[in-house]
Amino acid sequence: MMPTARIRRIALLSGWLLVSLISLLPILGIVVGLWPAEHITFADIEAFLGYQGLSASVFMTLFSALFSTLISLYIAFMVYSQYHLNRRLQSFEKYLAPLLSLPHLAIALGLVFLFSDGSVFFVDSGLPRKGLSTLIIAIVIKEVPFFLLIFSAIGRQLPIKYWLLQGQALGYQEYRCWWFLVFPALLKQSRLALLAATAYTLSVVDVSLLVGPNIPELFAVSVYRWQTSFGVGEQALAFWANVLLLILLAVSVLILYGHEKLAHAGCKALATKGSRFYIGSINPVFKAWLPMLALLTAMMVLVFALWSFGFNWHSDSFAFTQLTTRLWQDEWLFFALPLQNSLLIGLFSGLLGVAFALLALELQRQKGKYWPDYYWLLAIILPQLSMVLGWQILHIWSQGGYHSGWIVLSHLPFTFAYAYLVLKGPFQSVEPRYELLAASFGYSPWQSWWQVRFRLLLPAIFTAFAIAFSVSIAQYIPTLMLGAGRVTTITTEAVAIGSGSQQDLIALYVLLQSILPFMAFFVAALLARRFRGSMGRQDARNY
Amino acid sequence: MLEIINCQIEAKTWRITLPDIDVKKGELLVITGPSGIGKSTLLHWLLGNIPQHVAIKGQIMLSGINITHLAIEQRRVGLLMQDVYLFPHLNVQDNICFALPKNPQRSSKKQRRAAAMNMLEQINLAHLGTRYPQNLSGGERSRVGLIRALANQPQVMLLDEPFAALDPRTREQMGAWAFQQLTEQNIPSVMVSHDVEDIPASAKRLCLADYYQASEQK
Repeated sequence: MMPTARIRRIALLSGWLLVSLISLLPILGIVVGLWPAEHITFADIEAFLGYQGLSASVFMTLFSALFSTLISLYIAFMVYSQYHLNRRLQSFEKYLAPLLSLPHLAIALGLVFLFSDGSVFFVDSGLPRKGLSTLIIAIVIKEVPFFLLIFSAIGRQLPIKYWLLQGQALGYQEYRCWWFLVFPALLKQSRLALLAATAYTLSVVDVSLLVGPNIPELFAVSVYRWQTSFGVGEQALAFWANVLLLILLAVSVLILYGHEKLAHAGCKALATKGSRFYIGSINPVFKAWLPMLALLTAMMVLVFALWSFGFNWHSDSFAFTQLTTRLWQDEWLFFALPLQNSLLIGLFSGLLGVAFALLALELQRQKGKYWPDYYWLLAIILPQLSMVLGWQILHIWSQGGYHSGWIVLSHLPFTFAYAYLVLKGPFQSVEPRYELLAASFGYSPWQSWWQVRFRLLLPAIFTAFAIAFSVSIAQYIPTLMLGAGRVTTITTEAVAIGSGSQQDLIALYVLLQSILPFMAFFVAALLARRFRGSMGRQDARNY
Repeated sequence: MLEIINCQIEAKTWRITLPDIDVKKGELLVITGPSGIGKSTLLHWLLGNIPQHVAIKGQIMLSGINITHLAIEQRRVGLLMQDVYLFPHLNVQDNICFALPKNPQRSSKKQRRAAAMNMLEQINLAHLGTRYPQNLSGGERSRVGLIRALANQPQVMLLDEPFAALDPRTREQMGAWAFQQLTEQNIPSVMVSHDVEDIPASAKRLCLADYYQASEQK
């Protein structure tokens, strides 16, 4: 029989191998995707650079990525400064994750349904149906709760309350203390989140395709179009476009770093200058952000539902009694399979993402050292288009056929990264002495892990699963490129239908895409409440 | 001079009615009592950070002016806690610059930094000027914390168990040095302490337990 120590060593090694493989899949994808094919030469650069509208497209893409990220950051900071120390407003924090679950695509189309020309609120002079402003607003609406979630994770580890007290005792208005004392610390620790938001907008295809500008189209759309064309010329363009996409990411990193340094220097300069003049309250406006966001989300879901039940906004003779399930009945046969695929892929990739995130955290804990976050979060800080291209090449090369298993694998790096992001804080804050205590009662390390650490983490695990599931539901490029159109999900169908003009059909598919993550969060919240059980809340003193 | 008038702390099951208290310039009032009785609560009320778990009534007069309803930043109150919370993104010199009041003689960054260095030189800590808080020892942090609080020229200093985290030797030295600074600058001070050894012989004492009353059950 094998000695236990040896089995343990093999298990540990296999664990490390597995989590390393998953976290390095993005790098593998990019390396393979950017491995030049024989027919690609430097001479193709000329054709690429001469492509009509390229510079405008690249500029718009870079601008929208950086602008939407930074605007979201500042809005999120101002919202956070309003509710961080306010108990009543803090109760909104638990709704952040569900608000975050609404896919980008649903938000973008929701804006179109509510605020574009001929929509619910505007007959003419609304938001453009396809334009940079619509895209940026959609991204900002989506990213603000993301940054809030990141800030509240960072904020839990900073003595913000006492910094503010000290600052105020030294004669500074609370509003100024937030900017001078808290903002630099939050900004420094939000680097990865900023990069993730920028990388997303740089290479997002579905939202750009449906609500982004047409002439010139956003760069990611061009890259995707070239990638999926079979012509040698287009393949060469796709190769150089992917190189440029990485360069854009590097430029974004430099700009974000420059912004951080500038903001830091600005805050420091103002802080040391000692100006204490009262500049009034601007921030309270941001108190309304989260309730407004909840209202907007509800309105979006409602308008999708009404459209899908035959409500025509502009018909004078329409009455609520005329609502019909006809479209749902007619479409059921068409959306049943994509719905089933979405659910199964989301379930498996979500579960695996959470399981591997826990494994990665536990392995690091046992080693006594946590690796830098960027290593585990590569999937969300590198451009998705480039890495998926590499996976597609590997997939074709392996001749593995087209089935949901490949799609689960292609979603896994993303579900893993988000689950890791959500679980890391709670995992590290579990009091290690609980397990020590369990060991003193004679429990083995595995038993005490399962019965103590895992149980304490259950509420966070449910939330992580709901987020991972939502991430999987919203995946478009990996599903399309690895499934080659043979594995359809609600998202791939929503994008395909979204480029058409059947408003009621678009509403039906986007509604389905929005409902799935909500359901996951609803179930997660119920389970989390059930398992939080008697842990209760601490009624601490609040100075 | 600091005056506390008609002060009453009221929780669900108990109440403390304090006698009127005054703390003259250069004087130290030490608030003592068992854990949970409201020592820090009283201190935070003086600071202007209204506690939410108990109700406090009363008046706070500072140099004859009623400051009870002023915002924290308008009170000119120095604060030193167990962890001094030096701002981690500013070095020692800039932490002090942050505290220095704005005036025409110190309007430029250069002048403010010179003033901060001057304060550090006076207590032989000039060598710490460019260091960041995370590179200071516990004792150094406490000293810089006090100097930062004094830099704002407070009219009263509040100390919430300021030396509790220090080792016994540093604690003794730091205590003696801090009270000397406060006396020299003629600042009335209020300190919360658990430890009798922290209390200088010349200090006034206020033991909250002496005024504790259990509330009648309604």
